[in-house]
Amino acid sequence: MVSASTWATPSTRTELIENLVSGVDRYNPSNVGILEDYLYHQIRSEEYDCLANLAILKLYQFNPDLYNPDVVINILIKALTSLPFPDFNLCISLLDERSASTNPDEPDPLPLLLPVLTSLHNLLQQCRFPAFWTLYRSEKAESLRDNYTVECVGFEDSVREVVIRGVKAAFKSIRMERLGNYLNLSDEDLNGYVAKLGWSIEASTGVVSIPPNPDNQIESTVVQEQIELPQLVKVITHTQSA
Amino acid sequence: MAQQRKALWEADLDEELHDVDLNIAIGNYGQNGLYDDAQPRIDEPTLLAVQHQVAQQAALAQIPDAVKRFIVHFHQAVLDNNLSEITVAYESGWNRLTEKFYAKTEWPEAEIIAPLVNDDQIFLILYRELYYRHVYSRIQPDIDDRFHSYENSCELFNYLLNSDGPVPLELPEQWLWDIIDEFIYQFQSFCVWRSKVKPKTDEELMLLADAGQAWSSYSVLNVLYSLIQKSKINEHLTALQEGKSADEIVEIVGEYGTKPLYRMLGYFSLIGLLRVHSLLGDFTLALKVMESVELNQKINKTADRMYALFAVCNALSPSRVDDNISNTMKEKYGEQFTKMSRGEEGIPAFEELFLYACPKFISANPPPYEDAELLQAHIEELPVEPAQRHLSLFLSDVRAQAPVPTLRSFLKLYTSLDAKKLSNFLDADEEEMVQQLMVMKQASRSISRVENEKGLLGGQMISTSDLDFVIDENMVHIAESTVGRRYAGWFIRNTEHAQRVYDTVHNSPLPIPPKSASQVKADAAAAPPSAAPVSQRTGQRVAWGGNVKAA
Repeated sequence: MVSASTWATPSTRTELIENLVSGVDRYNPSNVGILEDYLYHQIRSEEYDCLANLAILKLYQFNPDLYNPDVVINILIKALTSLPFPDFNLCISLLDERSASTNPDEPDPLPLLLPVLTSLHNLLQQCRFPAFWTLYRSEKAESLRDNYTVECVGFEDSVREVVIRGVKAAFKSIRMERLGNYLNLSDEDLNGYVAKLGWSIEASTGVVSIPPNPDNQIESTVVQEQIELPQLVKVITHTQSA
Repeated sequence: MAQQRKALWEADLDEELHDVDLNIAIGNYGQNGLYDDAQPRIDEPTLLAVQHQVAQQAALAQIPDAVKRFIVHFHQAVLDNNLSEITVAYESGWNRLTEKFYAKTEWPEAEIIAPLVNDDQIFLILYRELYYRHVYSRIQPDIDDRFHSYENSCELFNYLLNSDGPVPLELPEQWLWDIIDEFIYQFQSFCVWRSKVKPKTDEELMLLADAGQAWSSYSVLNVLYSLIQKSKINEHLTALQEGKSADEIVEIVGEYGTKPLYRMLGYFSLIGLLRVHSLLGDFTLALKVMESVELNQKINKTADRMYALFAVCNALSPSRVDDNISNTMKEKYGEQFTKMSRGEEGIPAFEELFLYACPKFISANPPPYEDAELLQAHIEELPVEPAQRHLSLFLSDVRAQAPVPTLRSFLKLYTSLDAKKLSNFLDADEEEMVQQLMVMKQASRSISRVENEKGLLGGQMISTSDLDFVIDENMVHIAESTVGRRYAGWFIRNTEHAQRVYDTVHNSPLPIPPKSASQVKADAAAAPPSAAPVSQRTGQRVAWGGNVKAA
C-alpha cells in the first residue's frame, strides 16, 4: 500500500533539507541555492522529494527575481513521474502568472514547454500510455527531450513505473503485446523488463501474470450491521418482566 | 506617539499624513490658551496646529453622548482587564451603536476621541482595529484606509510581540479570532484591489510604486509565524496530545504561552496560515501547518460552500455517505449533482460549484507598479486571474475522470464481462476503454486516514468506491460491496415501540362500561380482587429494571 508519509518525508531527505522544509527558513531567499542543488541531486540519483521542490517554487513565488526556468522545468519533469500523486498540479498551482518577460536576450523557455509538459501529464493521468509515448517521441517534445529529460537519470524508467502502478492495480493478467505498448518496449527489452519485475510469462499464450496485490484482488463484501448489547437492553428487560 | 514604535517590516509610509505634530495639539484641549492675545504673531505651523485642534474639538463635541459614554466605559474595562465587561462592550455595545449612529458612515477617527481616553495609545490601536474593520465591511476603503489599516495592524502586532515580556492585556476570544481573521481578509482584499491596474488614479499609482512592504505576503506570513513561535502553540498542542501534565506544559510553553491571550492568538494564527497558504495556492503547506490541530467541525459559517464541495467530491468519487448529509446536499445542489455524475457534460456544473466554493485565490505578486514600462506591458497582456488558473487545473483533473460514471453504470450490471463486449456496448474502441478502466481504478483509490496518522498529510491508499473490478487478460471481473439489510435496528425499534404501547394500555384504568344495577353490584365485588394482581405485577417489574450485564 502506498503511504502518504513517505511522500511527505522521503527516506532520502537529509536532516538539513528537513529543517529547511519544515521550518521558517524555507522563506529565506538565500536558501534557494541549497534546495536547487538538492533538486539536481534528485535528478542525478533517481530520488524524488516533492515537498522540497514545492518549497523552491514557493520561494520563486515570493521572490520573482530568483526565478530559474530550468529549475521549474526539471521540477515538473520529476513531478510527472510521481503519478498518481497530484504533484504536477500542486506545482502548477504555485506558478503564478508571470508578467511578460522584458529580457529578449534570455527568452523564458517555460511558456513554450509548459503545454507539452501539461499534455504529457494529462495523457499519463488518463492512462493513455501509448499516446504518451507517441507524443514524447514526437517532434513537439524534441526540445524537452534534448535539453531536459536527457539529463534526468532514469526518466523513461520512472515513467514506466507509473505505467506499472496503473497496470498492476487493474489487471490480474495482461497480454504481452498490450503491456509492450504501454511500456514502449518490445521483444527482448520487454522480456527483460518483465523478468526484472519478477512477473511470470506464460510462453504459449503470451500472457503475463501479475502477482496479487491489494488492488487486483477483489471480493464482494456485504457490510453487516453490528448490534451492541446496550441496544438490546430494553428489549431483554421487557421479556423478563412479561 | 504613533510614530515612536518602529514597525519591523516596512519603512515609513507617512507621506499622506500631514506635518502636524499632534503632540502639541492634544496637549491642552478645551483650554483658553488659544485666544490669548498676548502673542500677536503666531507662526504658520502653530497656526495650522491650532486650527486642527479646533476642528478636532468641534468634531468631538458633535459625537453623541451615548457614544462618548460607551468609549469611556469600554476604555475603563480594558484598563481593568475586566473580561466580561469587555466582551459585552465588544459584542453588543459596539454593534448597537454602529447600527444606531454609524450604519453608513465611519466612526469618529481615533485622534478625535483620544481626549476621552487620555490618549491611551494601546486603547487607540484597539479602537482603530474596530474602526477599520467597520470601514472595510460597510464602506469601501480607499487607498489611505488600506495603508493606514496595515500600519495599525503592524502597531498592534509590534506591541504584542516586541514589548518586554507578555503584555498585561486581556481580550475576549472572539475578538482575538476577529483580529486575525480581519487581518487576513484585509490582506486578501488588498491583493485583489492591487491587481486591478486599469482603474487606478495617478496618485494611487504613485503611492503603490512606493508601497514597499505594505501588505506584502512576507509581512503577513511574518506576523502569523511570529505569533505561532512566541506562543509555542505547536509544542503546546503536541504536549496536550501526549497527555503531559499542566505543570509540564507550563514549562514547555514559557511565559507567553501560558497567557490565554497569546495562546489563543497562536492557535488562531495556525488557522490563519492555513487560509493564507490556500489563498496563495500552496495546498501542501496549508495542510502541513495543521499538523497538530485536531479538526472538530470548527467551520460552520460557510456551510453552503461546503455542501457544494461535497457535491463535487461525491460526483467524482461516489461512495457511501451518511444519509443526512446526502439529503441536504441533494436539496441544494441536486440538479448540478446529476449533471456532474454524467461525466463530460457535467463540466459547466463543476465549474459553477468550484468557483462558488473555492477560496478567493490571490496572486502573491503585485503588478509591477515600480516600473512604468513593465506595467504597461502587464496591462496589455493581462495574466490570467488566479481563480481561473486554479479552476482550469481542477477541471483538467475532472476531465481525466470523465469516462468513469458511464463505465460504472455498465459494470454495475455484471459480475464478469468480456472487454470486447463492454466496448461494443459503449460503442468505443476497446483499447481506449481498457485505458479508461485503469483510470477508473485509480479514481477509486485515495489516501485516507486508516490508523491514527498524524496531521492532514498522512494516510494510506484505500478504496473509496463500492464497486471494484479487475481485468484478467481480457475479461473484466466485477465485485460490488453492498450493505446488508438492517433488520436488527428496525426490529429493536419496533419491539420497543410495541412494548411502550403495551405498557400504556396495561397501565390505563379499565374503561367503565355502561352498567345495569345488577352489574354494578357484581363489579363492586370483582373490583378489589382485580386491583391486587396489577399491583403485584408492577411490584415485580420494578425488580427487573436495568440489571442486565454484558455476557
